[in-house]
Amino acid sequence: MKKVFMQGLKYVISILIILVIIGPLLVVLFTSFKTKEHMVTVSPLLLPDFSEITLENYRDVFSSKYLLSAFKNTAFIVLVSLFFNIIFGSITAYALERFHFKLKRIIVALFFLGMMIPTFVMEISRFKVIGSLGLYNTLGAPIIIYIASDLMQLYIYRQFIKGIPIELDESALLDGCGYYRIFSKIIFPLLAPATATLVIIKSVNIINDMYIPYLYMPSTRLKTLSTFLMSYASAQQGSWQILAAAIVVVMIPTLSIYIFFQKYIFEGVSAGAVKS
Amino acid sequence: MKMIEKKQKRFLVVSLLIPVILLLIFVVYPAINLIQTSFLEWDGISQVKEYVGIQNYINMFTNSPNLWLSLRNNGLYLVFHMIMIPIELSIAVMLNSKMKGRGIVKSIIFLPFVISGVGISYAFAYFFSPVNGAFNEILNVCNLDTFIRNWLSDPKIVNFTLIFVSIWRFSGYHVILFISGLKSVSPELLEAAEIDGANSLQRLRAIQLPSMALVMDFVLFDCIRGTLQHFEIPFVMTQGGPGYASSTFTLYTIDTAFKFNDFGMASTMAVAIMIMVMMIYLIKNMIPKLLKKR
Repeated sequence: MKKVFMQGLKYVISILIILVIIGPLLVVLFTSFKTKEHMVTVSPLLLPDFSEITLENYRDVFSSKYLLSAFKNTAFIVLVSLFFNIIFGSITAYALERFHFKLKRIIVALFFLGMMIPTFVMEISRFKVIGSLGLYNTLGAPIIIYIASDLMQLYIYRQFIKGIPIELDESALLDGCGYYRIFSKIIFPLLAPATATLVIIKSVNIINDMYIPYLYMPSTRLKTLSTFLMSYASAQQGSWQILAAAIVVVMIPTLSIYIFFQKYIFEGVSAGAVKS
Repeated sequence: MKMIEKKQKRFLVVSLLIPVILLLIFVVYPAINLIQTSFLEWDGISQVKEYVGIQNYINMFTNSPNLWLSLRNNGLYLVFHMIMIPIELSIAVMLNSKMKGRGIVKSIIFLPFVISGVGISYAFAYFFSPVNGAFNEILNVCNLDTFIRNWLSDPKIVNFTLIFVSIWRFSGYHVILFISGLKSVSPELLEAAEIDGANSLQRLRAIQLPSMALVMDFVLFDCIRGTLQHFEIPFVMTQGGPGYASSTFTLYTIDTAFKFNDFGMASTMAVAIMIMVMMIYLIKNMIPKLLKKR
């Protein structure tokens, strides 16, 4: 009897949680199918009659000139930053994990400092650096900031390299293999699971990032998905049904990444917290 | 052997050079620069930079009531996220037990952490809006219309609305961390305890919780650091308003720099955040050592 009650309680709690999480998102989805008139006549909690559902709001969003460029810009930033993040991250982690040299302690300390430093407020002084390098209002600004300062890959790669037996390097070295070859032909392929996790989780983070593109790329041609939504929102003030469609469109990329690669995301977020 | 050493050196230089230079230019230099600028009076544009000593620090403590109001808001976020921790842990325990459909619940619970923060902020701005807002409609349907409020423009309420959004977005992340912590407990140990007749609550207390110290530690640190740097949701939903009612320390610091063009003062505040984060980290690392000594 008690067992049945406990099982029942679990389901009640689960359904409550699901309602709280999905509810607000459903409201947005419903609204995105409404006309201006529906906004007054239909409850915000309900869909209009099926026959009256409109796709006009989505047509509006997709007809915006800058949505396509927002998709392109976001994809470009993600691809370039990830490429360098993965290469620099894996080779740095390898060098710091496997070798002993004079400046190692200082370099490790610097990278650690980099991971500790609070985000957002850093831009107060980074802003000038980006400006003086002529990167302000270019795609280069977010790209170089993500490459230089987003350092979680070091942590994950070092954990992973620790697990690869050093005898593997040594025997390759004895066979006359150079360090570059050892890294690129032996170590890097073995890091594939960590790389997969990193690719997924960093893509999500970069796509969702708002403040760096907002601060460094005010130009309308240089909107990313997040900043596109922001400027679209201020242009559509009050027309919630159109904004709702834009919200849905902007949520789709990371949502689909999540649906297909959930396993990697769970692994990635718990990598720092479990076992060390 | 000399040959190998030389090769090794070359490899290290080639592989570390670019990452270290990037780090120096875009992380280390700006950090040092923040400290320098915190002693200046500077509008961020003009060539004139006046050295004012610790005047900015004095002003920060004595003459920035809105900054402290903002920090109090960060404190509110922290309190509520702390209250959520036992609840998150209970949900994790529930989802780690035998139960049909727990995979789906797990996926949905983590969903808010993955989707666009800007999208979420606007979604909730609409959800809580005074005109056609879904939340007021829910109250209406439940005959609770006396509770209808201006959720985002009443200075007394706005923080709690934003805290709700913050909890909605971040709690699932903690649940997933707790679940992976619970999973890392060795199943043999649990089985042995079960055979010895320990019930599930006893097993949780005696075996699972202690071995989850690391996850708990991480979640606590994430809570403190995250709430201290809380920025995106209020920035998009209310811009810290009405007035500074829903501002946070980071939001106010950013405004001081990019809205009020007071880069000296903003740098001082940024240094304050840096010091707070470092201190929290040090304290976090000291507590376990102190406990062990006893």
